[in-house]
Order: sequence, then C-alpha cells, then structure tokens
Amino acid sequence: MNKTADIVIIGGGVSGCSIGYYLLKNGAKNVVILERDYLSAGATGRCGAGIRQQWGLELNCRMSKFSCEFFENAVSELEFDGDVEFHQGGYLLLISAEAELEQMKKNIALQNSLGIASRLITLDEAKEIVPYLNTDNLLAAAFHQKDGHLNPFHTTQAFAEAFKRLGGVIETRTAVTGVTVSNGRITGVETDKGTIQTGTVVNAAGGYAQGIAKMAGVELPLYSERHNILVTEPVEPLLAPMVMSFSLNLYCQQSPHGSFVMGRTDDSQPRDLRVSAYSGFPELMSRSVTGLMPPLKNLRMLRQWAGLYNMSPDKAAIYCEAPNVSGFYTAAGFSGHGFMMAPATGQSMTELILGLTPTLPWPKMGLDRFETGELLLEPSVV
Amino acid sequence: MLEQTGIPEASDINGVFPSDERLAKGPVAVIECFQRIPCNPCSTACRRGAIEAFDDINDLPKVNHEKCNGCSLCVSRCPGLAIMVVDMTYAEDKALLKLPYEFAPLPEEGSSVTALNRAGEAVGEALVVKVQNTPALDKTPLVSIAVAKDLARTVRNFRVTDDTSAESPGILRGDEAPSPMVCRCNDLDLDNIRDLMKKGFTSIDEIKRVSRLGMGPCQGRNCIPLVLGELSRFLGKPVSELDPGTYRPVVKSVSLGAVAEYDGEALTE
Repeated sequence: MNKTADIVIIGGGVSGCSIGYYLLKNGAKNVVILERDYLSAGATGRCGAGIRQQWGLELNCRMSKFSCEFFENAVSELEFDGDVEFHQGGYLLLISAEAELEQMKKNIALQNSLGIASRLITLDEAKEIVPYLNTDNLLAAAFHQKDGHLNPFHTTQAFAEAFKRLGGVIETRTAVTGVTVSNGRITGVETDKGTIQTGTVVNAAGGYAQGIAKMAGVELPLYSERHNILVTEPVEPLLAPMVMSFSLNLYCQQSPHGSFVMGRTDDSQPRDLRVSAYSGFPELMSRSVTGLMPPLKNLRMLRQWAGLYNMSPDKAAIYCEAPNVSGFYTAAGFSGHGFMMAPATGQSMTELILGLTPTLPWPKMGLDRFETGELLLEPSVV
Repeated sequence: MLEQTGIPEASDINGVFPSDERLAKGPVAVIECFQRIPCNPCSTACRRGAIEAFDDINDLPKVNHEKCNGCSLCVSRCPGLAIMVVDMTYAEDKALLKLPYEFAPLPEEGSSVTALNRAGEAVGEALVVKVQNTPALDKTPLVSIAVAKDLARTVRNFRVTDDTSAESPGILRGDEAPSPMVCRCNDLDLDNIRDLMKKGFTSIDEIKRVSRLGMGPCQGRNCIPLVLGELSRFLGKPVSELDPGTYRPVVKSVSLGAVAEYDGEALTE
C-alpha cells in the first residue's frame, strides 16, 4: 500500500469513486481511495437506483440536472466497456393533497426555469403512462421523461475503472482505523493495513461519515437511518417510469432486468448502523404498493434488504472543509440521494479541494448553514 | 463405508439384486439407489407397475422383480444413473449388462472395452453388443456389454480406451462445447464466472452485485455452492474459509398480494 498520498478518499461507494475521478481529471495527482469492504458494498449497492431532477430547491435541481446529463453520456465519458443501464422512463410523482399540488406547481415552475422539462399532468395522462394505476386517492401527477433509474454497481465500477485509468489507486478490504491531525492540520490516515501520510482527506463514507469525522475530531450534524427495499421476480416490461408518492412515502420501479424494486420510508426505523432485514417491512410495503398498483399483487417477492440513509438536519448534502481541521473534507448527508447526485458531488468536491471557480452551487451547502440558520429545506423527499 | 466412499460394497449390491431364480428367467432391472433423496422418475417411467409408487418422494424405490421384464425404460430416466438391466440368460458363460453411459466417445458396437468395477478399477474385458442413443433416451445412451457371468455383480461401467494416461477424454469439454451453466436464473455460465474472478471480483457478494448471480428466483441456492467451489479453486482456499455472502428473507418467494393480506400478529424486529 502507498505510504504517502496527496489526497486520500475514504469510501469506495459511488461518491468516493466520482470524487476520485473528477480530482484526477482536473489535475490532482497521487489520489488513493480506501474502501473497508468492496466497491459499492455500502449504501450505493443498496439504493433504489432512482435518478430525478424534480426538486423543490434550485440548488438540488442544478446539482441533479448536472448529474443526469452526465449519466446520459457516462459510458463514453468514462470509457466504460459495460453498460450503466440508464433507463430514462421518467419519474411519475403522484399528488394526493391540495397542499402537495400547490408545492408541485411551484416546483415545476422552478424546474422549467432551469431547463428541466417537467410538467403537471392529469390523472388520465398518468394512466396512459401506467394504465393500472389506482387513481382513487390522487389529484394529479408531475412527470419528467428524462428522469429514470441507473445500475448502481455498474456506475460505480465505471467511475472506479476511469479513476484507475487516470492513475488513481483503490485499496479495497482496507478499513480506516484513525485519522491523524497535528496543529489543526490533517497528517495521515491509519488503516488496518498500514498508515498513509497525507495532507488531505475526503470523507465520503456514506452512512459511516460521522464516525470517520469523529476520528479527526470533527463533529458533523449527521445520523444514519435504516431504509428497506424489496425486489420481486423479473417479469416482462410493465412499468416504464419510477413511480413515487410523497404522501404514501414510497417509490417503485422496474429494473431493465425485469425485477420490481420498491421501498418506503418508515419513521420507526433505527437510527444507527444496522442494515439487518426488518421483518415488518414487506407487509407495509406490499399493502401500499398493491393499493396503488393492484396487479402487482401477483408478483412474487424474492428478497428484501436494507441500507443506510445518511441524514443531514435539512435533508440536503453537506460539502465542506472542516472548520477546525484543515485538509479534512466531507461529502455526506445525502439523505437518500447520494447515488443520483454523484457526478455533481465529484465536480463540487473537486472545485472545493482544488480551489477552482465554483460551477455548481456547493458553496451554499457547507456546514455554516447550520450556524446561520440558512437551511436548505427540501420539500420533496421520500 | 458406502456413506464415506460413495462406493457400494458386495452386501449393498446383494441387497438390491434379484433372486437367482428371477435372474435365471431373463433380463431384469437392478436399482442401486441407496440414499433417500426427493426423486421418483423411475417409478413414473415404469409401465408395468414394477417400481412401486412412492408414498414419500424421498423413499428408496421398491422393485417388484417378478413384474419387471427388463424393458430398460427406467434406465435412462434415472438422473443418478443408478439403474442397469442384467440378463443372466444372454449366453452360456456371459451375462449382458445394459448400462447408462454418459461419456464421450461412445464405444463402437462389436468393440472390446475394459470392464470396470464400482470403484472404477479395471476387472476384465467386455464386448460391446449394442449402443442405443435415440432422442427418447434424452442424452443418456444405453450400452449393452457382455461380461463373464461371474463378473455380473462386479462390473458396473467400462472404459473405451486402455490408455489410462489419457486425460479422461470422455468428460473433458471440447472447444465447441458450450460452457456449463452456473446460474440459470440470470444466464451465467462458467466462463462468465471465471472472467469475473480474473477481473478481481473474488467474493460471492462482489460477483453477485456485478452479475446478478444469486438474485433470481433460486436466490443462490443452486449457483452459490457452485461458485464457492470455483472461488475455492481460484483462490486456493478451502470453501470453509470463504464468505458465502448474505442471505436475506424471504426464504421462499411469496406474492405481494399474500404478504399484503397477511392478518396475523404484527411482525416485529
């Protein structure tokens, strides 16, 4: 293992691999990614795989538009010899209350002003997209064709291979055990395979980001929360868009392979690092999803799993250098949207670390917002 | 010993052989099925009711040798190749053994082959009398060989060539042969798995994530043991030291409708 590095990235998920790729692409040298297990073993490999641009905050719209446009060209941009399986079947956001309708109208006006071609559609139009949708408790829907879903493993692999091609080093099965700081500056990273001297550490540890920060003596206002997903047997194509309901707290998509992948938010879930299967989840999930799309009753569930949302106080990401430890950077707190924002995360962290002129709104996404109270409260999240 | 070696001994064989009286009357099936497994095609294949219907699919077959006329329909049906037909009336000093034979190349009719016992050891000569390989046999050819009568309870296979230094030509894959299927749910063959291992995916969970191995309806029950064996050979580590990956609920696939309608006690952590 390298004894020294210019930059050490902690976390081999999609965020860490994207940050590594953008850093090298923009001239950084001697960058090492440390992953305690294997690439995409954490939240990346457990996520619902959705990619959307329909947000209620301008900065989320801009970050996601940048990311989505990247994904459209990811295979050629990253020179990947596989397929990242980007399926742009749209996001169908279901609206079931007046207040939600008003919010969605505002969101769509904002999105349209930023070049995102989302639109409000009637329930009849929604049924043209998903003919078996039960519209009983719905008022309308919002739809954007260019949203969709993407294969998290292959996407992470594509970033990782491009990173290595540019000279980056990835150490898997290497767990970080300490971050050393001297006189308020980062001096190195300790692992179970040895120590790396470095002046710059990027904390991209997803659900474990707050723990990594503590090793450097940095307190981050983050916690992790278990979210559950189930997957069915593969069937013929039946569902083009990602269907999402904020009021039912659920999302459901059909992967290109044919399996339906679905999840829902549940406030009862533990806020720790457990990713064990929650036995109450299939019941709650099946009830909500078969109520909304009744023919799904006949689909067989194959498996359930869980992963960690890394939650920030306002459910928006944190991109920052620690105020008390120079050289300790964090990209975390994605609150369930780290996968879809990964290209923007790579670009933003690269601009932050290398001191480049910001092209994305990351300067508003630092830690100071929790001091000043200028929170980035995103109204549209599951 | 049978349980340790997989090789039945004389007492095991005698236990399933027909009586001398029955053997003297003509061809008859001998079923060397010694382990309770869920399998019954022999019984369903028999049109004479000589192999009794199974009460429990795990039962060992019970053969009524008096009803059996040695037609050999059951021989190619047995997935374990555990059935042969013995004809002690074939000739004065020779018995005819009709054996299921799944090796390539098939012997020539009229050729001489080396007779093998149940441990695979050469025990004498045999003459190939007949080779059947019709579509109905579903790629389990039947080969009839004539052996000395006193070897009828000893011989259970044969080798086409005497050249024991050759690398078992029959079971090696030819260049044209398709790579064996490993994961039927997601269409992955052995070459796919070996390519992934060479690319650095050297644990079940990694191979699973990159290839969908084990994510299909079987949930890894069929493919993961096979890939663990390949990983063991590739890494030079015993399977017991390898991580079998994460198994997740549900144990058996179940419809979302059935889960949604569940009205029993609330499930908890």
